[in-house]
Amino acid sequence: MDQLPGEINQRIKREARVAGISRRKAPSIEVIEQRRMQLWILTVLVVVALAAASALASWAGPESSLGAGQWILRSAVALLGIGFVAYAVEKELHLHRLLRLLTDERVLNAAYSQSLDMNRALSAAGKALNSALELDEVLDAILASASQLLSARSGSVMLLEDDDYLRVVAVRGGHLFRDARVRVGESVAGRVAETRAPLLVNGDAVDLGLRDGSAGGGEDGSAMSVPLVNRGQLLGVLNVRAAGSVQFDDYDLQTLSLFAEPVAAAIAKAGLYAAEKAHVVELVESDRMKSQFVASVSHELRTPLTSIRGAVAATRLVDDPAQRSELLDVIERQSVRLQGMVEEILASARMERESNDAPVMLRKVDLASLVRLAALDAHLAGRPVTVDAPAVCEVRADSEGLRRVVGNLIENAHKYGSIPVTVTLECDAEHVMLSVLDSGPGVPVAERARIFERFYRTDPNGVQPGLGLGLSIVRGVVESSGGSVYVEDAPGGGAAFRVVLHTPVDDRREEAHVN
Amino acid sequence: MSTKYRVLIVDDEPDVLLSLRVILEAAGFEPSLAADGETALRRIDEQPLDVVLLDIMMPVLDGWFVLAELQGRAVRPQVIVCSAKTADADRERALNLGAAAYVTKPYSPDDLIAKIHTVLAQGQAHVTV
Repeated sequence: MDQLPGEINQRIKREARVAGISRRKAPSIEVIEQRRMQLWILTVLVVVALAAASALASWAGPESSLGAGQWILRSAVALLGIGFVAYAVEKELHLHRLLRLLTDERVLNAAYSQSLDMNRALSAAGKALNSALELDEVLDAILASASQLLSARSGSVMLLEDDDYLRVVAVRGGHLFRDARVRVGESVAGRVAETRAPLLVNGDAVDLGLRDGSAGGGEDGSAMSVPLVNRGQLLGVLNVRAAGSVQFDDYDLQTLSLFAEPVAAAIAKAGLYAAEKAHVVELVESDRMKSQFVASVSHELRTPLTSIRGAVAATRLVDDPAQRSELLDVIERQSVRLQGMVEEILASARMERESNDAPVMLRKVDLASLVRLAALDAHLAGRPVTVDAPAVCEVRADSEGLRRVVGNLIENAHKYGSIPVTVTLECDAEHVMLSVLDSGPGVPVAERARIFERFYRTDPNGVQPGLGLGLSIVRGVVESSGGSVYVEDAPGGGAAFRVVLHTPVDDRREEAHVN
Repeated sequence: MSTKYRVLIVDDEPDVLLSLRVILEAAGFEPSLAADGETALRRIDEQPLDVVLLDIMMPVLDGWFVLAELQGRAVRPQVIVCSAKTADADRERALNLGAAAYVTKPYSPDDLIAKIHTVLAQGQAHVTV
């Protein structure tokens, strides 16, 4: 079987010539069988005829009275018989060889044809896989190609999840459900994922204790599972089940294994594409938020400047001291507002720079007195706050940043929530929880993570002034102090912003440097 | 004795209302105040006005709503939009909604007074800064 078809053809023609079959084209197996039959019938007829002729010669007279002529005649008949039999045997040998060669040729042709079909199908499958980028489209193309390639009735793709599970991400036919999970190491697919070796199960799944549906939906019949490995990394498993009573063989398993290579590459590529796409969406969103921030800065800086310019011009026009004083208050108030915004922008910029390279200095800070001072400032600014805190409550944090955290959270509670606003402090040996609670509508669950993003505003076109920096500064300061911040519903309604910080462990660590 | 032009100042910033009232009084106008769109529409209904200085970003009803509401009226005061929104699209939108002029914040009080006089002189003509 290791001869090339061309070589076999030459030998077939040569043997055919010797066997006395003179046709331009190589003879078929049927013609050879016919020739063999004819040869043996002829041989039998000749032998019978010669035997009859020999018997006739003997009947002519007693043996003792045989003449030399008769002896010669009988010997000639015998020789003729032997010669013909030798000829027939020689022809039979050639015909037999020819028959074997033709059989080999048929087998080889069938194998080549099968191989060609497989390559054609693999190439078509490769093209189908390459034409898709979205994971769902790639998975559909995989199952459609696998079904076509192996005339399978059903198939599924499972992808590795959390290293321990395979999750069904695509199904074609069969009874499997999307999102069903199989533990790695268990069942047919799980075993294939663990060993990374293809597996063929031909109706003996029950005996092997493997009939669990992972390879084909809990049905009887022939099924195969192959691992999907890309650059040495296991991505998942591809399963197919044969139609009806058809049984897969090793050749099918080899075909599916070959098919699994471009499949794994296509899945990996779809994964990269999805990641890139998500990154682009993130960049576009970030760009949009930055543009919105620039617009907000422009708007927010212009508003107090308008008040200041107006108040300065008006101050020049009035003589009444009380009115002048009122206008000077406007200038002071709006200058403070402007200063607050500028400081917020600078703090945000500094925080971004520090998070990249500079360490933050952490000190022992009395959060209780800091909260009381912040509450006093808030009262003066017309934002009443109730404080519920112990006399002393020390934390390890960036003190300047922490002042901004408390101020921003109180301002936020007044801006987006409503009074009463309460600040509470709960301290234990290791942790301190600062809570700022308001009585407003609270923060929708979907917004709870996003409100801490830089430039993010819940109502970008709303009337509330702001730059979308306040809560991002809060998160930045708290995280650089090793703490965490989150928002939840306050008991009885409203929003509860919670900041968890660490207490100072000992004096030696007062000035710990943390990246 | 000449009649004073009546100007309604609409802005949600009390400090802007206060300063502009002093400036307009000094410039010989008769100012009245509104801190949101709803109050502004009520004032416009209550008294005849010559000019409305209208902010856009306001609570309750914003400046866009006020402009749209006034657009359908046969008799209406001249509106000068005074906004911190600087985009061309906002300026165009305001003019399309019938504003006589669009002034971006922060403005010079003197320029604003000049703009009011221009608008009064030109009637319905659209003037932009």
